[in-house]
Amino acid sequence: MSRTPTEPPARGIEALPGDLMMWVLIVSELLVFGAGLLAFMGVRLTDPAGFAEAQSHLDRTGAGLNTMILVTSGWLAARAVAAAESADTARTRALLAGAAALGVAFLWIKWLDYAAKGAAGITFETHPFFTFYYLLTGFHAVHVVAGIVILGLVAIRPRAPTVEVGAMFWHMVDLVWVLLFPIIYLLGAGA
Amino acid sequence: MKYQTQKIAYAYFLVAMILFAVQVSMGLILGWIYVSPNFLSEILPFNVGRMLHTNSLIVWLLLGFFGAAYYLVPEEAEREIHSPKLAYLQLLILIVGTAGVVVTYLFNLFDGNFLLGNEGREFIEQPRWVKVGIVVAALIFLYNVTMTVLAGKKTAITNILLLGLWLLSLLFLFAFYNPANLALDKQYWWFIVHLWVEATWELVMASILAFLMLKLTGVDREVIEKWLYVIVATALFSGILGTGHHYYWIGMPGYWQWIGSIFSTLEVVPFFGMMAFAFVMVWKGRRDHPNKAALLWALGCATLAFFGAGVWGFLHTLHGVNYYTHGTQITAAHGHLAFFGAYVALNLAIITYAFPILKGRDPYNQVLNMASFWLMAGGMVFMTFTLTFAGTVQTHLQRVNGEFYMDVQDQLWVFYVMRFGSGVAVVLGALLFIYAVLAPRREVIEPGPVITTAAE
Amino acid sequence: MSITRAWAVLMALSLASTAIAWSGAGGVWAALAILTLAWGKAQVILNRYLRLSQAPDISRGVALVLGLFMAGVMGLAVAGG
Ligand code: HEM
Ligand code: HEM
Ligand SMILES: [Fe+2]
Repeated sequence: MSRTPTEPPARGIEALPGDLMMWVLIVSELLVFGAGLLAFMGVRLTDPAGFAEAQSHLDRTGAGLNTMILVTSGWLAARAVAAAESADTARTRALLAGAAALGVAFLWIKWLDYAAKGAAGITFETHPFFTFYYLLTGFHAVHVVAGIVILGLVAIRPRAPTVEVGAMFWHMVDLVWVLLFPIIYLLGAGA
Repeated sequence: MKYQTQKIAYAYFLVAMILFAVQVSMGLILGWIYVSPNFLSEILPFNVGRMLHTNSLIVWLLLGFFGAAYYLVPEEAEREIHSPKLAYLQLLILIVGTAGVVVTYLFNLFDGNFLLGNEGREFIEQPRWVKVGIVVAALIFLYNVTMTVLAGKKTAITNILLLGLWLLSLLFLFAFYNPANLALDKQYWWFIVHLWVEATWELVMASILAFLMLKLTGVDREVIEKWLYVIVATALFSGILGTGHHYYWIGMPGYWQWIGSIFSTLEVVPFFGMMAFAFVMVWKGRRDHPNKAALLWALGCATLAFFGAGVWGFLHTLHGVNYYTHGTQITAAHGHLAFFGAYVALNLAIITYAFPILKGRDPYNQVLNMASFWLMAGGMVFMTFTLTFAGTVQTHLQRVNGEFYMDVQDQLWVFYVMRFGSGVAVVLGALLFIYAVLAPRREVIEPGPVITTAAE
Repeated sequence: MSITRAWAVLMALSLASTAIAWSGAGGVWAALAILTLAWGKAQVILNRYLRLSQAPDISRGVALVLGLFMAGVMGLAVAGG
């Protein structure tokens, strides 16, 4: 939502950009992932060596690449909002399509990661590390799928408020990943 | 009363209150059996009494919800109910079904019969023919109310109420699926029991509370709707996967321990939201509504629901804690305060609000009604504390020290005596409530200045 | 900060954390550095992509909660070695 400069600046919750219900959802999701990540860190204390060993089976390079893919996808989505605000439908659609396409790329790389784990016989039950790994990245991947669907839906009739809601969901997926990736994939790796 | 068909609610509330009296009296009998275990053991075995206690609870709460819907839908939709005849037929079916359950259980009839015999699963043990009756009644209800709303004005309150009632009816269909595998049985059983009280019923609760706040405080509808949407969103977000807190030890995969712990912890949020909502609305409200008792019940409902469901629920919802407390008296403490705060008090609030209007008089005899609130709420809170103490001792002796179940029960006797005492207060409060709502005709308090808008 | 600048910062921070991981640097200091970079990324996404900077009061509140979360994770990372 763009504000004209003559309006008095809104304060508190009134100043919140975009749809209130989307913020409720975003905060709820962040609480879930935040609690999951803290629980992961807590359980890790009980078996640091086991966690480090388990972590070494992950595809760190692919996940790092995925971070850049998502961040770039978020950039396209944010620009789609700007395009929708200036009522440029074709440009909005193109940018949304680009954001969604990068989402598909993310899922493809993620799928390769899962397939490799599957081939190595690694499941939910293999080690507590992998319980969290599958739960948190799986839950995140489900949100990526949902986000792609949402981006597609708002692209059908791209008005500024709906595009903004869709983009906000997508940024939330992005935000969760930049916190999840270093904690699950990178922490304690080098040594 | 603005619409004639709101009168339907009267019949529903009346039957609900009768069953309420039966329910709490049965609780008292159970409480005495705990003190003196051979009491009535030949005529009314504990398991049958317990079933009557919990089942009459569920049935009267649902009757209250139906009544509330018949009361508030015409007012919100600005239309008479589509078909009053169908509404009374629905009530009749439910009464016959309830009577059928009671008779089947009391006399232990038709054991093992596919259609007539009981099904032995807590809360949904009704014989199959009764279940079919319940579904038919629910269909009639949904048809009747949906037609009314479709023809009239659609408000957030009716939308959420209908969504809740539709979903809870659909969930009941799982009652027909009774797999032989005990783990599977439990998995689906919780789809009903948990997804009722911790998801769909919450929608009903939020919308009825919103209706009461609208009428009692005079706060703008827009403000109330915003709260309503946030509460409902957080309830569904947390409640659905929160089912996992019942999947810790029944043979489901281990990851449910984390899903259940995290999501069910968030279930506290909507209950906190409802409490904050009620108090903020009263604080912001300009209207000085004469029905003080209804306001007391509404505020009491939101507060006790937060403590019973939110605080006492959280107490044992993390799997590390539940590992020790599962199925102890802690669960009973939580079950009582949560059901009482959230759904019993909710029904008593809407009944307190609607009855003077349905009877065509000013709010009357509030003092007795308010006294019944303090008696019941006080009794329930005391019962919750005694059971929580009992549960803590039980957890320690039985789960940590490994003593035998019955040896531990002997040591809890004094708590059960106190539970019985608090139960007496609850039963007296319930009877007083029913009397206060039905009988007195004389004003006891000064009427407020404006009473012509009785239908508000 | 424009959207594109925000993207550039996010890419730079991501490359930095990947570089730390690749360098083979281990231990507590590497963990803290990686988490600090993640913290920065989260702030950029919140304030620029999600435009929270338009609501300064809320932005400060969210920053505080995120800070507590990061402090928690860092504390656990240090405790876990
Ligand atoms: C409105 C008030 C009441 C509500 C909402 C209520 C609700 C419930 C519920 C939900 C259960 C099943 C608990 C579970 O599955 O863990 C239950 C069981 C029970 N209730 Fe109540 N109850 C009420 C009043 C009373 C009263 C007044 C007493 C009398 C002392 C009582 C005594 C019991 C007993 C002894 C059980 C069986 C517990 C067991 O199996 O160990 N209840 N009640
Ligand atoms: C108004 C809402 C609620 C009602 C009416 C309610 C009622 C009940 C009842 C009757 C039971 C016993 C079921 C049985 O085993 O037969 C139960 C169990 C349980 N409830 Fe609730 N509850 C509510 C909300 C919550 C919330 C919000 C939480 C968590 C924050 C929660 C956590 C639990 C847990 C963990 C158990 C299992 C206890 C055990 O393992 O024995 N409940 N609830
Ligand atoms: Fe539950």
